[in-house]
Amino acid sequence: MEIEFKLNGKLIQVEVPPHWTLLRLLREKLGLTGTKEGCGIGECGACTVVMDGRPVNACLILAPKAEGRSVETVEGLGDQVFLHPLQQSFMDHGAVQCGFCTPGILMSAKALLDGNPHPTKEEVKGAISGHLCRCTGYQQIVEAIEKVSEV
Amino acid sequence: MIPSFDYQTPKTLQEACRLLQEACGKAKVIAGGTDLVIGLRNGNQNPQLLMDITNLKELRGIEESDGILSVGAAVSHSEIASSSLVRQFGGVLSDAASEIGSPQIRNLGTIGGNIVNASPAADTLPPLLALEAVGKVVSQKGEREVPVAQLIKGPYETVLQPHEILVRITFKKLSRDINGSFIRLARREAMTIARMSMALLLQVGDGKIKDIRIAPGAVLPAPQRLAEVEEFLKGKLPDQELIRVASRKVSEAMIRHSGIRPSTSYKAPVVEAIFMRAMRKVLER
Repeated sequence: MEIEFKLNGKLIQVEVPPHWTLLRLLREKLGLTGTKEGCGIGECGACTVVMDGRPVNACLILAPKAEGRSVETVEGLGDQVFLHPLQQSFMDHGAVQCGFCTPGILMSAKALLDGNPHPTKEEVKGAISGHLCRCTGYQQIVEAIEKVSEV
Repeated sequence: MIPSFDYQTPKTLQEACRLLQEACGKAKVIAGGTDLVIGLRNGNQNPQLLMDITNLKELRGIEESDGILSVGAAVSHSEIASSSLVRQFGGVLSDAASEIGSPQIRNLGTIGGNIVNASPAADTLPPLLALEAVGKVVSQKGEREVPVAQLIKGPYETVLQPHEILVRITFKKLSRDINGSFIRLARREAMTIARMSMALLLQVGDGKIKDIRIAPGAVLPAPQRLAEVEEFLKGKLPDQELIRVASRKVSEAMIRHSGIRPSTSYKAPVVEAIFMRAMRKVLER
C-alpha cells in the first residue's frame, strides 16, 4: 500500500507492505539506519522516533499508522557539519559509549525539550525512563540533557 | 518478522462495524498496537485483516456530562495521565495510567486496548474496577453496555464477540469525601509489567468506613474486587488493628480465587503489605 507522511520535515510517498513496522520501513526502504532495532518488543527504546511531537517505539508501529503523521528521526536532528545542541552536548559529556541507544535517547530528549525547555532533573530522568543504556549508567546522559536545557 | 495481512483504516464507525461483520472473525482491531504487534511478531496473533480504529471520532476524547466521565477507547495512556478531567473524576486511573510501561508505550497504548488485551497484570483494570467503569460496546447489530469487571473472562480473554468494538468507557464522578490510592509493585520503576498492584477507594464518615472498594491487580486470573473484604470493613473504625486483620483477609481472598501457586509464598505477605500501604495512604489524605 502507498502511504504519505512527513519525514524529517519533508512530505514523502512510499509503497510499503502493511505488515512492515515503521522501523523496518525507515531502515530497509528509506535507508535511515540511525534508528536502531534493539529488542523489537518495545522495551529497550533504541528504535524511538518522534511522531507528532511525541516519542514512540518505531518497532511497535505498523507502517500504515504513519499515514498523515509527522515522523522525526535522528537523521533530522543534525548532521556532521551542523550538530544539534543535544548531539554536541552528548559528545561533550561522554554520554555516548557504544552508541546503540543514543539515537533513541536523543529523540526522547528532543521531544522533552521541545515541549518543556527547562525540565527538572526528575523530568529528564522520566523522559529517558523508556531507554536502556548498558554502558554509561545514565548519569552522563542526564547531565548532557540538563546542560542543553540550561542554555 | 511479521507475516502479512491486509490493513484497513475505516473512516466511520459504521464502516468499521460492517467490515468487522463481513470478516467473520478473521479480522482484528488495532489501536495503539503495543500488545498486538508483539503478538503478530511472535505468532500468537494471525489475523487476515487488521482494522485500525485509532482515529475514529467515537473512540476519541475525554468528555464530561451530568457527573459522568466518558473516555474514548482509543485515548492514549499519556492523554489520560495528563487529563485534568480524569484527575478530578478518578485520580486512581490517572495514577495508574502515568505508571504504565514507558513514555513511548504510554504515547501509543490506549485504555481500550489495555482492557481488551485482558492481561491479568493490566494496569488500568484495578482502577477501572474500583471506579465501577462501564464499557460501551458497538457492533453492526447494535450496542450494549458491559461493566468492565464483566468484560474480562480470564487471562487474555474477554466476552467481546469478534464483530464487536469497545468504543467508550464511562464512570461516575466520585463524591468529594472518597479518597483513592493506586500502588504498583514491579521489579524496576520503569518499563516493567506489574508484579502486583492495588487500587483502593475509601469513604469515611463519623470516623467509620462508609464505603470501600478494593481492586487488586496481577494476583487474580481476572480482575475483580474483593467484595468479602469490603463487606467485612464497612461500618468499622479504620484503626491499625482492623487494617492488619483485613490485610489477612485480602491474602486469603487472593488464595481462594487464584489457588496456591508457586508464587504464593511471596505474593501473600506482599499483597497484605500493599493493602496496608494503600490504606495508610488513603487515610492520610
